[in-house]
Amino acid sequence: KFRMPTADNLVPIRLDIETEGQRYKDAFTWNPSDPDSEVVVFAKRTVRDLKLPPQFITQIAQSIQTQLTEFRSYEGQDMYTAEKIVPIKLDLRVNHTLIKDHFLWDLNNYESDPEEFARTFCNDMGIEDPEVGPAVAFAIREQLYEIAIQSVASAREIKISKKGRRGAEHAISSKGGGNALDLMKLFRYNSSVVRKRKEWYVYEPIVDILSNEEVDALEAREDRNTR
Amino acid sequence: MEMPQYDPNTKPEFELYTIPSHSSWFRWDDIHETERTALKEFFDGSSISRTPKIYKEYRDFMINKYREEPSRRLTFTQVRKSLVGDVSLLHKVFRFLDEWGLINFGAVSRGDDSDNRDSSLGDTELKNQVKIEEGAPNGVRVVALPNSLKPISVPNSGADGSGNGKVAVAGETGVKLPPLASYSDVFGDLVKLKGFKCGSCGEQCNSGCYEYSKGSFVICEKCFKNGNYGEDKSKDDFRFSDLGGNSLTHGATWTEAETLLLLESVMRHGDNWELVAQNVPTKSKLDCISKLIELPFGEFMMGSAHEMNSCPTGSLNSLKEGQSASSENQNDVKMEDQVHDQMNESKQNGDAATEEPPAKRKRIAPLSDGGSTLIKQVGGLDSVLDNLEHYQTFLLMDCSDASFEVAHISTMVGPHVTAAAAEAAVAALCNESSCPREIFDGDEDYLANGLSSPTMVSDPERALQVDASKMEENQSETQDASSEKNDVPLNLRIRTATATALGAAAANAKLLADQEDREIEHLVAIIIETQMKKLHSKINYFDDLELIMEKEYNEMMQLKECLVEERIDVLERALKTGVSKWRS
Repeated sequence: KFRMPTADNLVPIRLDIETEGQRYKDAFTWNPSDPDSEVVVFAKRTVRDLKLPPQFITQIAQSIQTQLTEFRSYEGQDMYTAEKIVPIKLDLRVNHTLIKDHFLWDLNNYESDPEEFARTFCNDMGIEDPEVGPAVAFAIREQLYEIAIQSVASAREIKISKKGRRGAEHAISSKGGGNALDLMKLFRYNSSVVRKRKEWYVYEPIVDILSNEEVDALEAREDRNTR
Repeated sequence: MEMPQYDPNTKPEFELYTIPSHSSWFRWDDIHETERTALKEFFDGSSISRTPKIYKEYRDFMINKYREEPSRRLTFTQVRKSLVGDVSLLHKVFRFLDEWGLINFGAVSRGDDSDNRDSSLGDTELKNQVKIEEGAPNGVRVVALPNSLKPISVPNSGADGSGNGKVAVAGETGVKLPPLASYSDVFGDLVKLKGFKCGSCGEQCNSGCYEYSKGSFVICEKCFKNGNYGEDKSKDDFRFSDLGGNSLTHGATWTEAETLLLLESVMRHGDNWELVAQNVPTKSKLDCISKLIELPFGEFMMGSAHEMNSCPTGSLNSLKEGQSASSENQNDVKMEDQVHDQMNESKQNGDAATEEPPAKRKRIAPLSDGGSTLIKQVGGLDSVLDNLEHYQTFLLMDCSDASFEVAHISTMVGPHVTAAAAEAAVAALCNESSCPREIFDGDEDYLANGLSSPTMVSDPERALQVDASKMEENQSETQDASSEKNDVPLNLRIRTATATALGAAAANAKLLADQEDREIEHLVAIIIETQMKKLHSKINYFDDLELIMEKEYNEMMQLKECLVEERIDVLERALKTGVSKWRS
């Protein structure tokens, strides 16, 4: 059944609202089992805390609601639950910290915890900015969410195709998203799970602390890209 | 052939890596039950990406990676880039190894680990390894997980290497439990410290001293810094030993008022250290306890506090008497100690003794001078003076109380002891000068009537002999005053004399008994330790023996095979050449 493949079933919500020359960008996780009335309360509180003009309230609430509904539309549908190890890429900037990372995640592990991963990550890399952790966790969740949606779609396809064809396994591995790694190849008996040294840099996290000018430059570039 | 216990990564000489003793099940070649249960995912065949082989690769890689640099703390992020697999699963393996001390055991612990770590492994370095040597002890500060069997113990600091010390406990063998609230190293005082005097400048080394490793020379910190090492000694020869670390002087200086407060609150509250510590505002609970033990009869007081409170008369008077009794005991102990030459204790005792008298002195302001002359006769010491002054006051107030006091002392110490002491004291006093004899002749009857039949107790006797000798030194003084004593009523003299005797006896007996007890405990502890060591070495010996036997056995088997082959060979040849009849 469809759900976020993590220990906590939280939906990643992204907001990007612009009204009257003010732009509000945010990203956080929401618990879909909270009552919908909470959405409006949250919107009001956010506007008050950040001192935004009141038009934002309705817009924020709407945006959240839409995303929630979308999430709920997937609920109840079947998800393809065979094992899938997908690569997750991180490429984000939080205030002054730039993070690039690449690692593998098991979609079938319903006990996985992006927040714990983010915590370990920040501790190990010695990141002091407290906003980085949640941002990392959010990025992971977002990607997992997308993949979960894809798996729903692929599950649907498989159901259709299963009626006709045999050898559904191969279909799965090709249809389950180009992301999924070929487990057979990776975890074969002869091969080692220890990567070759020359490949280590691919999967190594890179954390850069930017100076103010660089931050400004990057922000300007991001704005240009999104418009 | 390879011995499974040894680290296959060894270079010509073995490198020892430290792991805690509760992880001694670990083997490179094998996967243990502990691992199987903790990391089920690898062993239930649920996926092709999780097999025992893969688990072993993860595990070996992580441990080897850590051992490349044992002093630095291996982080998960460093290993995950090199391993293929789900990061959550890798993290689980990593955490498992971390908690069992198979990695990061000797590493510096991280500061902000409260959130995501269940345990933080301490910084020990014991040269001990998978090759389980003598019960590796030390501490790993662990919060016990539900299915783990780890002991909870106190972290120790490493003697060398990166360990940044937490609590510096002299790392001995055996798992140590966290110290009790009243833990104090009593034996350290008795055994080690004989009051270090600096060899070069002659001062007392209080906080730390440098010991000359090739001899028994000791210099204080100042001298060491200044370079006064003494002749023929160089800087490197000196080893620093910190006396202030575990010693009893936590709160350092105890003023008279504080000690008085402490004693009073102990009298009132007995064993309730919280209240005692509250009443003595500047000293912590631990300080109070240690100070009380230091004081002679500190423990005696703790016991007597209970007695006092349950005393039938239960009047304030009795409390005062008790206090004065113990104070006089302390004072007498001061006497005794100087005789027995226990330097450190005596200083502290001396402090205690001098603290008490001033406090008590205030109470005896209204004193007639007549009594003082008698006192001079009996002993020339200030302490005795005070004792008797106390009794003077009580006697003046209420004669019956004094006898009660005497009776009370006898209940505390035992009537036999007091009687013996009284007799001995009387005898001693008689030896001094002939005059008192007249007086005390009458006294003896009193004693015989008042107390039970005397039995000689050697200790008090001995002490009192010493007492007597001291008194004899002051004999010249007493002779002068002998004439004056006639002024004082007989009753007073009797009572004061007996009081002194009883006090002296009680003091010494208790002191010696306590000493004995402590020594016994200490020795028993040493014995037990040695026995343990013996057993351990025996076990090791037997293990070695087993190995040797195994090897021999294998060799024998091989030899046997060889022989069998040869024999077959011979037979074949024999048959080939057509020897028809086999002659053995």
